[in-house]
This record gives sequence, structure tokens and C-alpha cells, in this order.
Amino acid sequence: MSRRNARILGVVFFLANVVAVTWPGLVPFNRVRPFVLGLPFVMVWLTIWVLAAMIVLLVIDRAEHGDSED
Amino acid sequence: MERWQVIALVIAAYLALTLTVGLLAGRRQSASVTGYVAGDRDFGLLVMYFVTGASVFSAFAFLGGPGWAYNRGAAAFYILSYGALGMFPFYWVGPRIARVGRRFGYVTQAQMLRGRFPSKALPVVVAVITLLASVPYVTLQMQGAGIVIEAVTDGHIPLAWGAAIAYGVVIWYVLQAGVMAVGWTNTFQGIFMLVMAWTLGLYLPFSIYGGVGPMFEGILAERPELLTLPGLTASGEPWTWAGYSSAILVSVIGLMMWPHLFMKAFTARSDRVLRRTVILFPTFQLFLIPVYLIGFSGVLFPESPADPDFILPFMVLRTGLPAIIVGLFCAGALSASMSTGDTVIHSAASVLVEDGLGPFIELTDAAQRRIMRLLVLVIGGVSYWLAISDTGSLVSLLLGAYGMICQLAPPVVAALYWKRATTAGVLWGLVLGTATAMFFVEYPDLRPSDMHEGIYGLLVNVSVLVGVSLLGRAQDEAHVATFFEAERAGATRAHE
Repeated sequence: MSRRNARILGVVFFLANVVAVTWPGLVPFNRVRPFVLGLPFVMVWLTIWVLAAMIVLLVIDRAEHGDSED
Repeated sequence: MERWQVIALVIAAYLALTLTVGLLAGRRQSASVTGYVAGDRDFGLLVMYFVTGASVFSAFAFLGGPGWAYNRGAAAFYILSYGALGMFPFYWVGPRIARVGRRFGYVTQAQMLRGRFPSKALPVVVAVITLLASVPYVTLQMQGAGIVIEAVTDGHIPLAWGAAIAYGVVIWYVLQAGVMAVGWTNTFQGIFMLVMAWTLGLYLPFSIYGGVGPMFEGILAERPELLTLPGLTASGEPWTWAGYSSAILVSVIGLMMWPHLFMKAFTARSDRVLRRTVILFPTFQLFLIPVYLIGFSGVLFPESPADPDFILPFMVLRTGLPAIIVGLFCAGALSASMSTGDTVIHSAASVLVEDGLGPFIELTDAAQRRIMRLLVLVIGGVSYWLAISDTGSLVSLLLGAYGMICQLAPPVVAALYWKRATTAGVLWGLVLGTATAMFFVEYPDLRPSDMHEGIYGLLVNVSVLVGVSLLGRAQDEAHVATFFEAERAGATRAHE
């Protein structure tokens, strides 16, 4: 992935994340069941987005900086 | 020995350990303003990770988080969502700030803004906003510490004493060792609060309800309104989607604009450390899950505390845990309070000297550090006085803090990314945006909708910034070029 694509991924993910955790993007996922690991579904949905932010940044970091020691 | 005495001893041991860590940390730091404020720009990944995590999560998260989950249910989830989102753009913005900082020697936000937008008024406005937002914030942290100590010692150590002892320790290490003490104590405190939150968050549901699933099944049967968004307001009415969504937006925009977080960009050893800190931050963020579990475990408990914010010490004291364990949990709550309080006091004092005085008086490096230390005492003293006296008037300032702080985002973005922005545009946008936010904090009934007052402030701020900038003459091209080239030159230097 090029640097340019990495930045585009960053912007698109950020906007998708904002939509997914606020109105109206959150509404379809705003439910208690099914429970996941004992937690209400909506709580797990929000947690997945927190972890996704980390994974997307890791991918972007690989693309923008590789293994360079800057 | 009585139970409360054992608990008090554990807390005392924790405070002594924190003080030792803080004082030892300062020995490595140079006797300069860059040393006191920016740790000689030499923080590594471990310290950056914890200083960021532990500064973001304050007594509000540790006591207020369970309080919200207990009282307002799913409304509390907004804290989970805004942290990672607010940190995300810092992956790019952070290193950019750090580079101009290295190039021109900036240690505060306003110094950077003034470098791009030459004006003596601008740093003063930033210093005033910082002070108005910081003092109520520190006051809240002190009350949090006092509340915990009072609750677990059965009132033998009253709030005023508890807050004085905990913050006496904080002031001591901040005076002695500046940001280096903040960094290393936050590392210690951060580990402590993570371990305590996860342990308690899993222990309570299992010991009372036989597991996390059974606990939520029970809540779903009796109080289903607590488990879906947007949850409830503090008085138990259903909250609105506009209120919930705009609270997330304002916090996302405002989070990294807090001087105590923004200025940490100047403390990182390298861009790489800064980027890694941002990438790893969500792992810290997950600590809100056990925090919510602590709050939810109180929902179906037969007794209830006088104030929802007391739910954590309340539950800890009612589950028959040994006194030593209770003491450790309370030390965890103190960690959350102190690790935010210390850095807010430290950065507010630094900002007042560098930005409130700096543009007007020539001060030697040594004099600046002396005045900063004096102001650490003054800010700590004023906050303490507010914490133990009647705080009715404080509530509106506190509510307004985020609305004000997020107004710093448009100037920062314009400084780094918009060449056509002008000094007048930035200054007037900031002043009018902040005034708008403050106005709606004072008169919430006049708001056009249930959205957070910070949103209206931002709308005014951005429109004025863009409008006034485009109407006025563009900045001198050579000046803008130096600033943007410095950004690139700084990047090169970081490679060396």
C-alpha cells in the first residue's frame, strides 16, 4: 500500500468509525442480544471499533514507515 | 487494629511509594525550562504510553464511569467511543507538532500557534481558556481523592484532609521534578489502576451474580432501559441521540487539545515513539469495560449509595473483601485522580508562564522555572480551596470545560494545514467560538437543540476563522513558508 492510499484509508476509517458509534449508524446495532462473552451486543460493537482503530493504525504505520527506524 | 486503620495504612504506603517514584524520576532531568516542561524531549514508549493513558483517564473515569453506568446505563458508553477516536488523528498531527517544536524550541500549544500567527493576544487567550478549564478539572480530581479516602476510612479522615494529603504528595513531586515526575508516577499509577479496574470489574459480577452474563440477564429483566443507547440523563429521563452523539463529537475534537495532552507531543523522544503511543492507546482504553462492569454490578444490589459517584467505594466496602484489598482498590482510584491532577496542574502552570507572561516580559530560564513552581502552588491552592468550599458555582465551569477546550482545535488545524489562514481570523474565531460555548453553558434553555454547546461554539469558530481569513490579506508568503519548511526540516532532523 502506498503512502497516499494509507492516508486515504485513515480518513475513510475515521469517518466510518464516527458514523458507526453515533446516530444514525449505531441504531441498527443498538441491541442487547445476542450476548457476547456475557456482554450486551451494543457494548461489544463499540469495543470492536476501539480495537479496529488500533489495527487500522498498525496497517497504516507499516505502509507509511515500514521497518525504518525514524 | 481496626479495619479503617489497616485501609489507611495501605493508602499511606501507596502514597509514600508514589512520592519516592516521583522524586527519584526528577534526578535525571536537566535544570532548564525544556527539562521541566518537556522532559528534555526524551520520553520513551513505556512512559509515553502510560502518561497518555493515565492522564486521559482521571477520577472522572474511575469514579464517574461506574457512577454513569450505574445511574445512566448505556449513556456511559460515550466515554469508550471518544477516547480512541480522539487519539486517532494524533497519529499524523502529533509528529507534525513535535517537529515544529524541535525546530523552534516550542514547549506549549500557544507558542506553536504564535509561531504561525504572530500576536500577543493569541497566547493570552489560550492561557485564559486553559486556566478556566483546568482549575475546575483539578478541583474535581481533588474531591475525587477526598471522597474515596473519607468513604473507606468511615469518615475518620474527612474529605478536606484526604484531599490535602494526596495532593500534598502531588504538589511535592511536581515542584521538585516537573514533567519527569509526572511521567514516571503516571507509569506506576497507570499500571496500578489497570490491574485494580480489571480485578474488581470481574470480581464483583462473579461474586454477586455468578458471572457477567447472569448480571446482564438480570438487568435486562428488571431495568432494560439501561442497556440500550442513548441511555438516561442524570435525572433518569431518556437521553436524546443528539445529546449522545454530540457529546462524542465534542470530546473527540477536544480530547487532544487539552494542554496537558497536547504538550506531551513535545516530550516524545522521536516521532516513532509518538506514533507507537497513538497506535497502542486503544489497549488502555479497554479498561473502561471493567469500569462499566463495576457500575452495572450495583444496579440490582439491594442497597444504594447516597450519590451515584460513590458506587465504587460503596460496592468495595459491601462485598466482604479483606481490609488490605479494599485499601489497594482505593489506591487504584487515587491513582486515577492523582495521575490526571498532577499533569493538569503542571501544564496549566507552564502555560501561564510561557504564554501569559512570556510574550510581555523577558525572563531568564531560571526565573521561568521559579515562577512555574510558584504557580504550581497557587493553582494547587486555589483548586484545593474550591474543592473543600461550596462548589455550586463550579458546576457550570466544569460542564463548559470541554466546550471551551475543543475551540482550540480549529486554530491548531489551521496553523498546521491551511496556508491561507490569518492571525485575525484565528483570533476572532477562537474568541467568538469560546464565548458562544460559554453562553450556552450559562443559558442551556436557549440552545436550538439538545446538542452539546461545544458544537455551536465550533460552528461559530470555524465560520469566523474562514470568513475573516478570506476577507483579509493573506499572510506574508515567506513567513508561512518558513513555518511549513520548518515542518519538513524538522522531519529531516529526526532522521539523523
